[in-house]
Amino acid sequence: MKLKNTIKEYRQKKSLTQEELAFKVGVSRQTIISIERYRYKPSLELGMKISMSLEININSLFYLE
Amino acid sequence: MALSKKEISILIEIVFSIAFAFIFLPYFYENLDNNLVLMDDLIVKIIEIVIFSVIYFSVAYSLLGFFKKTETKDERDDMINSKSYKLGYLLHEFFLFIFIGTLSSNFKNQELLNLTDVGIIFLIFILLIFISFVKSSYQLYLHRTS
Repeated sequence: MKLKNTIKEYRQKKSLTQEELAFKVGVSRQTIISIERYRYKPSLELGMKISMSLEININSLFYLE
Repeated sequence: MALSKKEISILIEIVFSIAFAFIFLPYFYENLDNNLVLMDDLIVKIIEIVIFSVIYFSVAYSLLGFFKKTETKDERDDMINSKSYKLGYLLHEFFLFIFIGTLSSNFKNQELLNLTDVGIIFLIFILLIFISFVKSSYQLYLHRTS
């Protein structure tokens, strides 16, 4: 099973760029790109920061497939 | 192919390893078995290396800082660094193991390693450059793929 996410979808709904989201959660743009492409699995802390920034429940943001 | 500041800074290290190997290692290689190389000559060569390194990194990082804006260091960088430094550490351990093995097998045959001063310096430099090159290349690979 692979950890996937819907960050890109919710980020675009909130009209945020990768750069803006990265700044909000305190990481680099490359990290957001890697997470959205499922290349990097974020820590629980970073996952929660992203979910708070996008104002979405963490269960809706990350799922196993 | 757009490279981030971190990736360019790793490339600077890789280029340094290659430049070092082409500029300075030939001198040590040519004098590998030469017992007549004076310690003064070696000290001059090492001072040249230090000056070259200081100028190279000062210029390279100043230009990088001038043209690229500062990037946030985050958990992904920590993960990449820990993986690549672990590889470098394992290579160090491996070569140390080989070195001790060679030393002890020669010791059994009642002879020590037949190395000159230049030979020892060459061996140290080539190992450091090789390990640094592999570590940096792996770091760059991880930055591009993870």
